[in-house]
Amino acid sequence: MEIRRATKDDLAAAADLIVRVKKLNNEFDPLFAVVADVRSRADKYLGSTLEASDKLLLVAVEGQKIVGMIRAEMRERLFYEPHREGFITEFYILPEYRRKALGNDMILKASAELKKMGAQIIVAEVPSQNEIANRFYAKRGFRGLLNVFGKNP
Amino acid sequence: MREEEPKEDFSKKALSYSKFYGGKVVVAPKVPVRSLDDFSIWYTPGVAAVSRAIEADSDLSFEYTGRWNTVAVVTDGSRVLGLGDIGPEGALPVMEGKALIYNYLGGVNAIPLPTRVKNEEELIAFVRALEPSIGGVNLEDIESPKCFDVLDRLQAEMKIPVWHDDQQGTAGVTLSALYNALELTGRKLKGSKIVLFGAGAANIAAERLLVKAGADPKDIIMLDSKGILHPEREDIDQLSLRNKWKYEVAMRTNGDRVTGGLKEALRGADALVAAAGQGPELVKADEIRVMNRHAITFFMANPVPEMLPASARAAGAEIVATGRSDYPNQVNNSLLFPAIFRGALDVRAKTITDSMVIDAATELAAFAKEKGISRNYIIPTMVQWEVYPRVAAKVGQSAVKEGVARKRLSAKESLHAAMETIEHSRKVMSTLRGSGIILDPPE
Repeated sequence: MEIRRATKDDLAAAADLIVRVKKLNNEFDPLFAVVADVRSRADKYLGSTLEASDKLLLVAVEGQKIVGMIRAEMRERLFYEPHREGFITEFYILPEYRRKALGNDMILKASAELKKMGAQIIVAEVPSQNEIANRFYAKRGFRGLLNVFGKNP
Repeated sequence: MREEEPKEDFSKKALSYSKFYGGKVVVAPKVPVRSLDDFSIWYTPGVAAVSRAIEADSDLSFEYTGRWNTVAVVTDGSRVLGLGDIGPEGALPVMEGKALIYNYLGGVNAIPLPTRVKNEEELIAFVRALEPSIGGVNLEDIESPKCFDVLDRLQAEMKIPVWHDDQQGTAGVTLSALYNALELTGRKLKGSKIVLFGAGAANIAAERLLVKAGADPKDIIMLDSKGILHPEREDIDQLSLRNKWKYEVAMRTNGDRVTGGLKEALRGADALVAAAGQGPELVKADEIRVMNRHAITFFMANPVPEMLPASARAAGAEIVATGRSDYPNQVNNSLLFPAIFRGALDVRAKTITDSMVIDAATELAAFAKEKGISRNYIIPTMVQWEVYPRVAAKVGQSAVKEGVARKRLSAKESLHAAMETIEHSRKVMSTLRGSGIILDPPE
């Protein structure tokens, strides 16, 4: 299993995984219902990720198959220290490849890359109701930083 | 045997006879009442001694009361036959019918107990609370996937057999019929490609039992309404959250990663077990045609099989089975559950393990083999009642071997106990009919 930076050839498969993680979020919370053109948006989203120097897209590859992806970007916290955030926006591994320490390895690799990009703190964003993700990050020493509350008006 | 749809409509008779009889099973005395003085023995004050003895050792309830031979037939009415969620009252006639089959074929005192519950937790609590008064539980007609969790949890918590016939019974008879069908066509379970069409209670349980019996999960393909199950299907995450049983099947079967629908699944397959819904054209001829030579096809839906036997034969199937009595090879749970419980109850088993079910299925197949299997006879028929005590004895011995029997009977004792109880049950029926206590239905 190889964890590396994505190339253009990886984008289609990585976009497929973005779609899966968005649909998985919907399973936890109806306020994350996925848009009809989620796939084309995922394609554009990842395309612009590759082109940006302050963004990161890693893929986990077994043989020729992309089995996991992690997308992150550098953000500036205007009022707080530490102020340079390595912000994980999406993280997904195909179910068949979970529970094999791959998740751990991907987080470690992403954190290392983000640190090289200047990150002073690593942050991950997941929908509050996603218990699987909550447990995953808690086990690895992450703790809650911000609560985002929402309701239909 | 017929090759097209049945002409008789049993519905009219069922309605008219149900009203005539006002119930299918009844509580009847088992002890003599020689005079009213006998109540001092059967009831107070004599009964207090029995109660005190049981209070000191609760397992004595299996010796001093009828608990040892009593099975509760429990449902919440959430998925009754092909009728869906019709509720507990609607389910009652079906549970009565089940109780009758238990009693007549297995000599088991079965009590129909549909219950009104709001959710899974209430159902589990209800069944759990029944334990002190019964020897076993038959769960019935509970919707999937709730039924999987209910069965798993009750089996883990209770010290009496808990059985979900829609799962384990169907899986057991399927395995039994498959044994002989595979042998007739020169194949073994291991190495045969098996397609399970339908991912409800029956086939989820069938996959598990087939694998336990020696099938390779990589050679099994299961389909639900969305197509072939595999680890990268679009909805695999949803399955992991909503139906972990179907999810686990998706993760461990289909080694060749076949994708698509039934035709793709059946390409080169040796056997098809369809438990997918009412036919007669849920399975098509061109789907059967792509199967391996000497194809085995089971169509389990009742009353209308997924494909009619004549159509399956015309498309090239060599062995065809359905759940109906008016076609050859009736793969019917009623061949198994009365015998399974007869055997389990006789040894006061604490549970019914997969090995016990496999042993029962094997014995059922062996019985048919002794009679001479052929493409139209791969499994015993229900009129061959001698098969029930034999299967029961095998189940009892299996329980003893696995250390889950409270009463360790020898093989001879198991067979004798089962034979005696089942013969008694048949004698009761003929006596009650002969004496006019049970009347024939009005014409």
